[in-house]
Amino acid sequence: MSYSVKLEAFEGPLDLLLHLINRLEIDIYDIPMAELTQQYIEHLYAMRVLQLDELSEYLVLAATLLEVKSKMLLPVNEEETLIDDFDYEEDPREELISKLIEYRKYKEAANSLRESAAHRDEHFTKEPEDLLEYGEPLVTETEDQLNVFDLIGAFQKMLHRKKLKLPLTASITKSEQSVGDKMSSIMSKLELCGGECEFHALFDTSTVPELVLTFLSLLELMKLQEVKVRQSNSFEELLISLT
Amino acid sequence: MDSKGRLIGMTESFLFVAGEEGLTLAQLAALLECDEQQAQQVLMSLQTAYDADDTRGITLKIYGGSYRLVTKSEWADAIKRMLEDPKPVTFTQAALEVLAIIAYKQPVTRIEVDDLRGVKSERALSSLAGKGFVEEVGRMEGPGRPILYGTTAFFLDRFGLKSLEDMPPLSLDEEQEVSGDTDLFMTKFQEAFSITEE
Repeated sequence: MSYSVKLEAFEGPLDLLLHLINRLEIDIYDIPMAELTQQYIEHLYAMRVLQLDELSEYLVLAATLLEVKSKMLLPVNEEETLIDDFDYEEDPREELISKLIEYRKYKEAANSLRESAAHRDEHFTKEPEDLLEYGEPLVTETEDQLNVFDLIGAFQKMLHRKKLKLPLTASITKSEQSVGDKMSSIMSKLELCGGECEFHALFDTSTVPELVLTFLSLLELMKLQEVKVRQSNSFEELLISLT
Repeated sequence: MDSKGRLIGMTESFLFVAGEEGLTLAQLAALLECDEQQAQQVLMSLQTAYDADDTRGITLKIYGGSYRLVTKSEWADAIKRMLEDPKPVTFTQAALEVLAIIAYKQPVTRIEVDDLRGVKSERALSSLAGKGFVEEVGRMEGPGRPILYGTTAFFLDRFGLKSLEDMPPLSLDEEQEVSGDTDLFMTKFQEAFSITEE
């Protein structure tokens, strides 16, 4: 039997790379490509077992790392650089670095959004007053263009309010009745019916736990020989009587 | 009662009735039968009065351009006692990253979001759209006319932002510590699979 677990490991190859840079305490503007590439590929190798859906994306970045690394090994044509001052030889890492920095910005922004949401959660509000029972509310402002997202919004709001309408506290209480209680109630019922009644008549409640409870009590009474159960024929009504 | 006091009282009652929907400045001005500038002053007075008075449990906030009465954050813990099992709504890291990118770069296409994150964001994006945080704001002129996404007023409300301008500026390129969660994960992970590193 296989058992699969989704681990929230990294949010993608850039996230993994950022993690490595942080852990290796590398200057993001001066990445030692050989070291980082090696570490990245090692991690990728280790993460194989996770069977990540996005493995191909991780591999693309691995290829990029290798490409940058090999580019850095190529000798720079000094002469050309000297002659053509404007055409400044670009650091092969530049594109990667700017990508990382850009991603890091939004990763941090995501964290600050998480904080804002937490702050917002500290302010409670209430649903709008339902004024319909006093008359049609005046519409002071109408949206010119409603689209499918307004519909989604309205639906979400409705669902949310439905949720809010649920009681704040719903406690699950066990039935207070015990088998003993039920036994005495069956006995008094039998007495009321003149010492004998039909099996069905004892089950006057509809909840499953109570039906089970009644049945258990009846079995207990039979065991104690307080009641007798008779049946005149197969499939006939069972008759319960006091002994 | 002076006219300003009357307006403040009226404003409070309107906001009470409006609840979480809140009222925009334009709506309030129309209801108060005054101009927006006056309405703004009334709102300011109301807010100052709430915040100056520690015995008040509610205050005035503006989220996504609409004013509303909310409970003060001081009482958040007390209110949570009314809940049997208070559960903070959580967002996945992926959803937050996508949301952050859309919020700061909108209007933006899905491809741009994918590019920035280096990973596909389709699922997070559709879940955000389904929850009403982002919406289609148009189409980009160009091959395939991809959908452009932007954030909604509900996003601003949910994240307690007055407007998009209220979002904290994106941090510049200084060194930042990233949370230790992934570190912990990797340590555990390496222990479990006994990966050796240099």
